[in-house]
Amino acid sequence: MGSARAGGYPIMATGRTISRISVLGTVALLLGSLLCVRLWFLQGVGSTDAEIKVLAVRTRTVNLSPERGRIFDIKGRIVADNERILTVTIDRGVIARPLARVQMWNRLSGVLNMTVAQLEDKYVSKRYDQLQPVPLKEDVAEDLGVYLRERNEDYPGIDVREDWRREYPYSPMASHVIGFLGAIKDNANEQTYYKNLGYNPDARVGQFGVEQTYEALLRGTPGMVKYEVDSRGRILRQLLRKDPVPGFDVQLTIDLELQQFAEQSLQTELMLRRRTEAPTVLLNGEPDPQYPLINYYKAPAGSTVVMNHNTGEIAAMASYPNFDNRWFNAGISSEKFGQLFPKTDDPDQSILVNRAISGRYNLGSTFKPFVAYAALNTGQLAGGTNYYLRDQGTYKLQSIPKERCQLNVKCVFKNANCGNGAPCKYGRVNVVAALAISSDVFFYKIGEEIFSQRGNRPVLEEQVRQFGFGSPTEIDLPYEFIGTVPSRALKQRLAASGAIAKDEGRGYYVGDNVQFSIGQGLLSATPLQLTVAYATLANGGKVMKPRVVRAIWAPGTPNGKSGRVNLEAGTTIQDFSAPVVTRDIGARPEVLDPIIRGLTRVVNGPGVTSDFYHSTTGENLFRSYPKRTLPIAGKTGTAQGAGNLPWNDSSVFGAFSKDPKNPYTTVAYVEKAGFGSRAAAPVVKCLFTALAGKVRIEPAVPSDPLDTASFNVAPAQSLTRNNVMCLVGTGSSVRD
Amino acid sequence: MARSILTRRPDSGLGNIKRGITDPRRSIDWILLSAVGLLTIIGFFMIYSATRPRMIDNGLDPFQFVQRQIVFVMIALILMGVVMWMDYVQLRGSAELLYAATIVLLILVYLLGAVKGGAKLSFDIGPIAIQPSELSKVSTLLFLCGYLANEELEELPWERFIQSLVIVGVPFALVLIQPDLGSASVVVASAMGVLLVAGARTRYIIGVTALTVVSAAAATVTGLVKKYQISRITGFLDPNPNSESEAVRNLVNQVNQAKRAVASGGFFGKGYLNGPSTNGRFIPVQSTDFVFSAVGEQFGMLGALVVLGLFGVVLYRIYRIARLSVDKLGVLICTGVFTMILWQAFQNIGMTLGIMPVSGVPLPFVSYGGSHMVAFALMIGLVQSVHMRRFR
Repeated sequence: MGSARAGGYPIMATGRTISRISVLGTVALLLGSLLCVRLWFLQGVGSTDAEIKVLAVRTRTVNLSPERGRIFDIKGRIVADNERILTVTIDRGVIARPLARVQMWNRLSGVLNMTVAQLEDKYVSKRYDQLQPVPLKEDVAEDLGVYLRERNEDYPGIDVREDWRREYPYSPMASHVIGFLGAIKDNANEQTYYKNLGYNPDARVGQFGVEQTYEALLRGTPGMVKYEVDSRGRILRQLLRKDPVPGFDVQLTIDLELQQFAEQSLQTELMLRRRTEAPTVLLNGEPDPQYPLINYYKAPAGSTVVMNHNTGEIAAMASYPNFDNRWFNAGISSEKFGQLFPKTDDPDQSILVNRAISGRYNLGSTFKPFVAYAALNTGQLAGGTNYYLRDQGTYKLQSIPKERCQLNVKCVFKNANCGNGAPCKYGRVNVVAALAISSDVFFYKIGEEIFSQRGNRPVLEEQVRQFGFGSPTEIDLPYEFIGTVPSRALKQRLAASGAIAKDEGRGYYVGDNVQFSIGQGLLSATPLQLTVAYATLANGGKVMKPRVVRAIWAPGTPNGKSGRVNLEAGTTIQDFSAPVVTRDIGARPEVLDPIIRGLTRVVNGPGVTSDFYHSTTGENLFRSYPKRTLPIAGKTGTAQGAGNLPWNDSSVFGAFSKDPKNPYTTVAYVEKAGFGSRAAAPVVKCLFTALAGKVRIEPAVPSDPLDTASFNVAPAQSLTRNNVMCLVGTGSSVRD
Repeated sequence: MARSILTRRPDSGLGNIKRGITDPRRSIDWILLSAVGLLTIIGFFMIYSATRPRMIDNGLDPFQFVQRQIVFVMIALILMGVVMWMDYVQLRGSAELLYAATIVLLILVYLLGAVKGGAKLSFDIGPIAIQPSELSKVSTLLFLCGYLANEELEELPWERFIQSLVIVGVPFALVLIQPDLGSASVVVASAMGVLLVAGARTRYIIGVTALTVVSAAAATVTGLVKKYQISRITGFLDPNPNSESEAVRNLVNQVNQAKRAVASGGFFGKGYLNGPSTNGRFIPVQSTDFVFSAVGEQFGMLGALVVLGLFGVVLYRIYRIARLSVDKLGVLICTGVFTMILWQAFQNIGMTLGIMPVSGVPLPFVSYGGSHMVAFALMIGLVQSVHMRRFR
């Protein structure tokens, strides 16, 4: 080191000054070492750790939605399919800054034909996963997708994702059975449930029908792709890809062509009933002035079920009002949706209800076979079919003392009126004839005696519960109604909930059991429960578990011809076609035979003669039915509605085939449409005529595209001119 | 080898130059110039790699920033040459004038300057932004050194110390209210270095430094300092990436990105133009404030140590020139430049590595920017001028 020289201008640096500099040198060394140490810990030691963090920051994970399993009918017709659509999404990070977002919305709004406000709504909506790109617009045209992809520079963070959209080619056919997809409902339970299963908050899940029941199988397994992106959100390369696994295919037990025929029959009949006058209400033989003279049936709704009673497979299940399940994917506004599916308290107008499984109905006389069973099975009818009763049109309770009857208890029960305005008198009838002409008196007597002579025990309840009344059928569809069977407990429960008066809930009386015995009062059941109960009569006492799904197929069942899958080429994963017997009631032939004979006589006749000939309730209608080809047995029922007014009567008919090769049980329930023989029975008749092969069922054809401008929730379906005659009988039989 | 470079006699010339020993041109410290030149060249490459992705994204010429930097460097070289050619003793005569001019500029920029990120730092003349705070570092240094060099006593008297503080205090306050806390701290640091060497008592130095820190803290608390300056401090003391304050979040994110970039470089780096963070534009203002992260990511610890080493060479050579200087003025000038480069480089690199708060000071000679390049070139020129004229 050189040393400072002396003798300069003007003031020399002294040795002390120089030595002070070395303090600064030391500081410099210290700071330098500090940086070196830091570098070592950052780059030498922490390098791999940082690498992982760097990757986490610079990747974008995009979920890949799996193709949902398809649904096809028993013959392979695809009733729920998927269409590939393009969805424009934007990465959240790119538009996190408000200014950048506004700029992006301004640029996009023209391209996507959306307002800035709409785009901002999508961004702030909590419906979408906050860690996933925001879907801005679904189902954009192919060329728009290409346009946006090619202009990645102008629209950083924009991605065009391939998604699936559910298609229902035959909609509205079987829409109540197939169901639809909807957004996860806005309640915490459901949101947590789906979140735990790994759904995105904006996922569409099965919300009705088979789509809901088999959601777990149909859904498939989502895949994902992980990209490395730069700070502007542009994809640099793909890091990881897990392809989604499509969902399992589901094969229904429904035969779409029979389903179509059932829907056509039901709707045509409803239409006809709306053009029919209900009987005039008479007061002392004159029209009652407080009601209009002429009343048309309202016939707002109905349902029908066709079930194979040996297997429990549902071949057709129709409910009206029906709907086009494509509305749920149509991207319509919530306002329009509210107009199509109005929130209503009027049960007549409810659309999103499968009345076949959710309708809570009185059964009327269609319940009588089970009362007959109870009586015969418990020996209540001494001598079985040899037990005769003289039906004088009215029945007076025997177990109630006269004075009480005079006070406040209803002790006299009547048959339905015959044409002359007075209750029908059927004369001497046994159980077979009583079923055939539907004698209320005969069943009133059973109803009283099975209760009063057996120590007021609920024998009738226990007996009919065996047929499945009051318990779920456990069909694989959601929202099934369990039904109610009158009992002391039920009355108490209803009184507690305020459904009936407190006084009424105090006890279960003879009168309740009498009402119960003709299917009125507090008895309620769904058409499906009635179907299962009739099927139990048909198959010799086995309560079947009804099903709408026959089998689960491996994903990707190949396509076959004309809108069907090729069932031969597919693989069954799980087969449900083996019948499941819920309960064998152990019916003895001597108990079942008279009932079946009685029900056969309903269809075939003859009636009884007492003063004049009383035809059976179905005899006239079924005169034109091909009885030899497909022998059937059935029972009409008329469920009395509000105020016992004629136009509020609902019409029921249950029937089953007696041909073991064509083992079907069918029930139709037509609301506010009149006598059982008039509205429901024709529908059932048409269905059996079709099952007998005596009408030409039209082939099922895919429906026209949904017209989103229309306000028609589902196009009307009707029987063809050639087939409509199956609804018509000859002559007149106006009793149930 | 390395040792021979460091200990090479500065007066040995380029070997073939035959001049008299008092000829200033003979005594240029070429090693200092080479080290500075190397840092500048490294700067070119780093600026290119850090600005290229943005320019390509915007469809602009990726070389634009490097070209501008080259222009800045050429201007800086010319100015440095002028300063080297002038005698630093004569320059001291005009120190008052330069000081007054920069004070005026600082006031003007406070009143009229362009607002960037909440601070008024620069005059925008066309594409070029002139930052008077950078220039004020030089003029303040020169003025302060000239003032202190007149003192004959070994120990600096109290009044002189206070007067020195006034000299430094005016530009310091003006820089502080811009607000540019980083540059202000550089002004203070260099002044303290100069005062220390000029003979101020250590306890004065410590006292004033403590006072500065306390007053800065007070200004922070009372809200005299703008919010975004506060967030730099809170972001440093409590690096919470989920902080409620967006400014703190951004800062923490910025520093984390820079740290990760450096860390991911490892020992040998990702290779030039191969840094994912740099290419992905994850580090804001990378070409200016965070240029060291580009070095760390692309060239790893090796590259980082080279840059640190070059700064070491620069500082050592200045230190050495100070010790060889004949007069007090020369010593003080060298000291000021030494402290300034030391503190600014430490602050810049430290903030990239996450051990200093974000201050926004450029890395001397490396970062993109004309003002600081010119300022530091002038300082190197002064140092060279001291060295060249040590034989008179």
